[in-house]
Amino acid sequence: MVPEGVVALLEILLFPGFLFLIALAFFYEWVDRKLLAKLQNRYGPLYTGPSGLLQPFADFIKLLSKEDITPKAADKFMFSCAPLFLLSFPLLALFLVPVAGLKALISFEGDLIFLMFLFTLIAVTVFIAGWSSVSRFSTVGGVRAAFQMLGYEIPMTLVMVGPAIAARTLSISQIVGWQTHNAAWFIWFQPIGFAIFVLCLLAELEFIPFDIPEAATEIVAGWSTEYSGRKLALIRLGKDVELVLAASLITSLFLGGPNSSLPILAIGFFLLKTTLAVVLLTTLRALFARFRIDQMIAGAWKYVIPLAILQMVLIQLGFGR
Amino acid sequence: MGLLKWGRTKSPWIIHFNTGGCNACDIEVVAALMPRYDIERFGIIIRGSPRHADVLVVTGPVTRQVKDRLVRIYEQVPEPKSVIAVGSCAISGAPFADCYNVYGGIDTVIPVDVYVPGCPPKPEAIINGIVKLIEKLKAG
Repeated sequence: MVPEGVVALLEILLFPGFLFLIALAFFYEWVDRKLLAKLQNRYGPLYTGPSGLLQPFADFIKLLSKEDITPKAADKFMFSCAPLFLLSFPLLALFLVPVAGLKALISFEGDLIFLMFLFTLIAVTVFIAGWSSVSRFSTVGGVRAAFQMLGYEIPMTLVMVGPAIAARTLSISQIVGWQTHNAAWFIWFQPIGFAIFVLCLLAELEFIPFDIPEAATEIVAGWSTEYSGRKLALIRLGKDVELVLAASLITSLFLGGPNSSLPILAIGFFLLKTTLAVVLLTTLRALFARFRIDQMIAGAWKYVIPLAILQMVLIQLGFGR
Repeated sequence: MGLLKWGRTKSPWIIHFNTGGCNACDIEVVAALMPRYDIERFGIIIRGSPRHADVLVVTGPVTRQVKDRLVRIYEQVPEPKSVIAVGSCAISGAPFADCYNVYGGIDTVIPVDVYVPGCPPKPEAIINGIVKLIEKLKAG
């Protein structure tokens, strides 16, 4: 028999830990780029590996090998720390989400709250990354990211609590367990919550209707303008891992998660559902054009937050489960 | 071919800079990025920030006004970097070569790796230039 410690170590390092999640992150970036290209009548990456499958990996390798420039005026400590945080926070958050089987690698009562906290930390780190670059474009991008957070954070938190209230638990693994036990997905009971959650994740991921903090046509490259080389590679990988996190959260909270205790079936369900979630996010990003920052915040406070509160009221009246 | 070289040849990201041309070359560069030619097939994407880019694509002759900015942008592209001069103006200054406010081609100011002639060059010609650059990267 293999000792338990070795199994735990392998789970964290290989499957469903770091190696699997990072490979999945590269894969979903490819899915995202390829589908976006198809929707725009293009081919997308084609010659790097089969159908361009290795393109995100090639980008990563290239960026790792490039010169790493730190601006003279930048706050060097925070400037170097921000990319590390931007990669490690989504990776840590992914450990709370069940991937293979009904239980996540780390699971405790209240991990949903911890995950919301990590989401906020990611947005704050984006702001710090922009601010510590001390370039006018980065600063504007960072401030926009912080502003945008004021818009989407509250409705997102409200609708993430929705499934938790219905399942009477604050643990993501147990929410998935509830859905498996009752053979019911929360998307059928809380469709408004699902729609708002997808909308807010688009803003969190800085995908197109809400890519206001990056806004390539207005402020160069937004908060990441001054980053190059290794740091940019980490930021991009962090963004990809965040995409996996978003897809797996949609899966766990609203689509029933990997609803099987058999590992092989569970991972199959997980991959299928997260791919569907990525396809949904990419399609939305291809459909829309960018909002202005004031439109985004006004829209969030005028329409999205009241709708999220309506969803909470419906759950309390007994329509949410 | 080593892993590093493979990565570099498979994902050359470009930044596009007009130094004072008539905009025809810019339209052709953009046409190369659009669905009909779609150079994302080769892993090429256009980036907003010079710090993210590998290849500086320059169109137009170097004017007195823009010289410092061009050098500044070139210096902000992280190593290893390369430059493509697109169009006759970027190669020699063409009809503007004798103007009081024009220095001439791009190579009077920064080193150029690949020249793409034409006024303006077709998107096919620009793609051919990029392929030449990739071959150069493979060899060197």
